[in-house]
Amino acid sequence: MITAVNRDIMPENWYNVVPDLPEPLAPPRDSKQEISSINLLNKILPREVLKQEFTFRRYEKIPDEVMEQYEQIGRPTPLIRAKNLEKYLDYRGKIFYKYEGATATGSHKINTAIPQAYYAMKEGVKGVTTETGAGQWGSATALAASLYGLPAQIFMVRISFEQKPLRKTVMNLYNGNVVASPSTLTEYGRKILKEHPDTPGTLGIGISEAVEYALDHDYRYMVASVMNVALTHQSVIGQETKKQLELIGEHADVLIGCVGGGSNFGGFTFPFIPDGDETEIIATTADEVPKFSKGDYKYDLVDSAGVLPQMRMYSLGADFVPPTIYAGGLRYHGASPSLSLLINRGRIKSDEVTESQVKEALRIFANTQGVIAAPESGHAIATAINYAKSHKNEGKTIVVNVSGHGMLDLSIFGERQ
Amino acid sequence: MKNLIPYFTLGYPDNTKLCRFLDILPVEKINYIEFGFPSSDPRYDGPVIRKTHSVGNHNFSESVYSKYFDYFYRNRIKMYSLSYYSDIKDRFDEFINYLQVNNFSGIIIPDLIIDYFNDSKSIINELNKREFEYIPFFSPATPDFVIRDIAAITDSWVYYGLQPSTGIEIPYELDYTTERINELLPRREITYGFGIKTDEDIKNLMKNGGSGVAIGTYLVKMIDAGDEEGFIEYIDKMRGVLNE
Ligand SMILES: Cc1ncc(COP(=O)(O)O)c(C=O)c1O
Repeated sequence: MITAVNRDIMPENWYNVVPDLPEPLAPPRDSKQEISSINLLNKILPREVLKQEFTFRRYEKIPDEVMEQYEQIGRPTPLIRAKNLEKYLDYRGKIFYKYEGATATGSHKINTAIPQAYYAMKEGVKGVTTETGAGQWGSATALAASLYGLPAQIFMVRISFEQKPLRKTVMNLYNGNVVASPSTLTEYGRKILKEHPDTPGTLGIGISEAVEYALDHDYRYMVASVMNVALTHQSVIGQETKKQLELIGEHADVLIGCVGGGSNFGGFTFPFIPDGDETEIIATTADEVPKFSKGDYKYDLVDSAGVLPQMRMYSLGADFVPPTIYAGGLRYHGASPSLSLLINRGRIKSDEVTESQVKEALRIFANTQGVIAAPESGHAIATAINYAKSHKNEGKTIVVNVSGHGMLDLSIFGERQ
Repeated sequence: MKNLIPYFTLGYPDNTKLCRFLDILPVEKINYIEFGFPSSDPRYDGPVIRKTHSVGNHNFSESVYSKYFDYFYRNRIKMYSLSYYSDIKDRFDEFINYLQVNNFSGIIIPDLIIDYFNDSKSIINELNKREFEYIPFFSPATPDFVIRDIAAITDSWVYYGLQPSTGIEIPYELDYTTERINELLPRREITYGFGIKTDEDIKNLMKNGGSGVAIGTYLVKMIDAGDEEGFIEYIDKMRGVLNE
């Protein structure tokens, strides 16, 4: 339903944090000596996306056509006070959650898929391609491409392909083509399959395959996360949240989100960065993928093949093969450079939770709020619950981003004991 | 006079060939010159300039160039060194002394505020004390407050890289870029570099208040081809465009 209120809540611009960072963001760096992987981006990304990747504009106007589609897929998403959870935890402050699971594809991913597909369509490319972990990004890409009449080729990390077969159905329903990655569609995939026939796959491999596919087929690659432009598009989440809080006279003391590459987290929290240091900001990763505590802050490969430029970020190494946790979207080895910088400077804190803590948090959230959250989002919820337990009587307002629903990830619960 | 700043990596393609180009450089057409001291890790340069560093690293010999430094100095051409801090940090004093002895006016350090941000102000103050110009090097990714802070402790011209690294062609909005830097640093000389090659680029930059341009990657092509005539013609033409 479109009401005046909806349009009031939705921002007119995307917000880009780069000009507001506490120190200059290190530029991307070529991965290979002889060629410029930065220049190669001209063939990989739609021109407008590339421009936005390197822009220093604080605000970028959201095209009308994109605004319209944002409304179609359910923006603005709700900000809900989790009163049942507060009661369950006997918490003396307030807990709110921003619910990105309410979008048509079930996660925040659609927020950047729509503009990227839109720009690709406007430039008349043949199609789009990407990787997907849990399948949320693949679903968003397939839908966005389909809305603009473009074919989509999706490389789905093999372990998720096997764990989450319904995701493939969803992507197919949205007219996307899906293969398990590593695949035989690319040279890089064939090489990995030959060397490691049993590999569960990684997002790094998936990205490499998609980029190769884009270069070979005059397709454009859709950026799920990590790169600045994806975080900029996702800023609709945080800007809406700010507005929604403002409308009810609330103020966030603590913001919590989960981090795979950093897109939902950056989108949710960065719009609060220019307001100063009052709001505490916490990034949760999977304990099994401890990039912020065990990773190095350094230039590293974004994709395993090294076709894309290197970026300075927290990384466990592009060849890191993470355990096969359910939160496929958190299995990525690195994190967005802007987020990494803010963590390195201490502006943003980090937390890690284990899969069993996540399951427990998902159960509690389902039982209290009725929402079955995505395993990725379960990490943020677990941190929020721990935070509420350890700061019970301080009267703080916690806002947590629930980046997606978990209706297609139910296998995480197995058989109920 | 608007600044036309040709850039050369010392030792590329070899000392003799580079000297030949320095010999024929029409000194009356330029007012500044930028010399890259070969770096072992020119991390913020594109592939063309990276190649000149790796070749230059093998060939560079100090003794070859001192007479050129002297020659440009006598011709009132201000010389600036392009050096990566990662290469000079262990012999910083010695290197700055060397530049001052050879009559360089200042230094451009592309990695300083990126990789050594916390130390950058004290290093700049050190250069100020020595009365050696630190040329602030900014790019579109430099946050506003950093531009203001660094500009506040320096008074030289500013080097503004339009691209994330040399020789790269990422689409950008020229008008918006110049507008922003002009707004942040009114009354400051802004010289643009990175990815500039056509007359059109230069005209637009000057129209928007630029004080000059630095040209590097594009010259390498002529140096590679040994195209002396083309080189002289090009410098001549760029000067003409700047003077318009
Ligand atoms: C629901 C959900 N949340 C979070 C993520 C992690 O990605 P990012 O850190 O880019 O938000 C994913 C990625 O697949 C996801 O599907």
